[in-house]
Amino acid sequence: MQRFLRMITFPELREGLGVTLKWFVRPKVTEVYPDRRPVLPYRTKHRLHVEIETCISCGQCEKACPEGCIKVIKPPKEVFKEDKRPQEFFLSLDHCLYCGQCQDSCPTGSIHHSDEWELAAYSFKEYLFDKETLPYDLEKKRYRENFWGNVEDKTGG
Amino acid sequence: MEFEVLMNTVGFPLIKILILLGVVLTCVAYTVYVERRLLGFFQSRLGPNRVGPFGLVQPIADGVKLFLKEDLVPLFARRFIFKLAPIFAMAPALVGFSIVTFAPNWVGADGTEHSFVVADVNIGILFLLAITSLGVFGIILGGWSSGSKYPLFGSLRSASQMLSYEIPLTLSVLAVILMAGSFRLSDITEAQQQFFGTRGLYYIVPLILAFAVYLISAVAETNRTPFDLPEGESEIIGFHTEYSGMRFAFFFMGEYANIVLVSCVGTALFLGGYDIPFVSDAALYASHPQLTSILSLASFAAKCSLFIFFYIWIRATFPRYRYDHLLKIGWKVLLPISLVNLLLVAAIKAWPHFQDWLGGAAG
Repeated sequence: MQRFLRMITFPELREGLGVTLKWFVRPKVTEVYPDRRPVLPYRTKHRLHVEIETCISCGQCEKACPEGCIKVIKPPKEVFKEDKRPQEFFLSLDHCLYCGQCQDSCPTGSIHHSDEWELAAYSFKEYLFDKETLPYDLEKKRYRENFWGNVEDKTGG
Repeated sequence: MEFEVLMNTVGFPLIKILILLGVVLTCVAYTVYVERRLLGFFQSRLGPNRVGPFGLVQPIADGVKLFLKEDLVPLFARRFIFKLAPIFAMAPALVGFSIVTFAPNWVGADGTEHSFVVADVNIGILFLLAITSLGVFGIILGGWSSGSKYPLFGSLRSASQMLSYEIPLTLSVLAVILMAGSFRLSDITEAQQQFFGTRGLYYIVPLILAFAVYLISAVAETNRTPFDLPEGESEIIGFHTEYSGMRFAFFFMGEYANIVLVSCVGTALFLGGYDIPFVSDAALYASHPQLTSILSLASFAAKCSLFIFFYIWIRATFPRYRYDHLLKIGWKVLLPISLVNLLLVAAIKAWPHFQDWLGGAAG
């Protein structure tokens, strides 16, 4: 009798239907990307950002970079005594591994990975940055400041 | 006078047909959308939500895409039959809607009554069964005339499937007809309203076996998962392999029109049709006829939507049956169940007469 009851009530089918119904009412996992931007995790590493104002042209990042995608050009000696900012700073982001070694080696904390992550481009030339294009809008990016603390503190004022 | 006669014989039915066609085709298009959307929900996705608000314009985008696609006819196809087959697949499903009664009669301001049905014929269910049987021709002809072996095999599979499952379907419907004592869908709905007091108990309760058989064989009839061997969306090569563009869309829409039709008929037969649940319809109709019509229409649509939701739920849940299992279920399980059920219903209906006869024989 019990077997007959089991047979006519289809427990397997009901279980399957229950499982699908459970997933039906659960929240969905789809990221609605352009409408809702994802919350980036702490210490996320994306496009490199260089604060030219605090850079002292020491070239440590250039040495540390395993891919050799950074090129720092010091200013001439007489200028360097007064103003340590680099004369030119090249970065080719399409080689970048996002390893973070440059930001670890930087004595002033001028170079670091930012949270700008929408980097799709039509040509690899758009991944070549120089001194003018390398910094980006700081107003938008507060995350980095939370991570690194105040840059002034780090460089000793 | 002449005009009135013309209007009543040709005009109103024609208007009704046009309205019905428009509504049904819209429903079909949005059934596709709703199915994709709900399947997405069942799989923890969102489904199509990019075109318009909530993706509501998606069916139009799909339609435009299918219209603009190239319409290929294979070299070795029988061209005439190849072009005829999609129409054969779609037309029966649309014709079947003509006998479905969606709501009680609309009472106009001047007291004239307009029915919510194109043709309330007294052999409604028989007509429906006959017409939907024609749907299999579309599949057979489409597969055969493609001039390719895989569609041919696909159409053979689906032909035997549809023919096998038509028998349990018909027998389960026969049980309802025995209960109601009429082939007319509006009569069946009214019989359900009067069944067991005046409210609340539809034929799904006493005829649960027939309902189960109807549900399963309707899924098989409309080639849906878990019985979607005729098409086999991703794995098996189905009968419409050689079709593209608008002709394929006809097959596709025919399938979905069949789903809506089967849901409508299932609603009318087992779920009380346009009856409003928990309300005495006859009393309400006597006092507010127009309101009752509208509410009944809404009730019918809601029940039908439930049916369609169940279809999509089944599709999201069950894997496809193996072919021999499919035929085995059809012939060895559903057919005996429906026959036994029919016998039981007949015995219950005949019991008073039988008692009379016994009494007569004894006295």
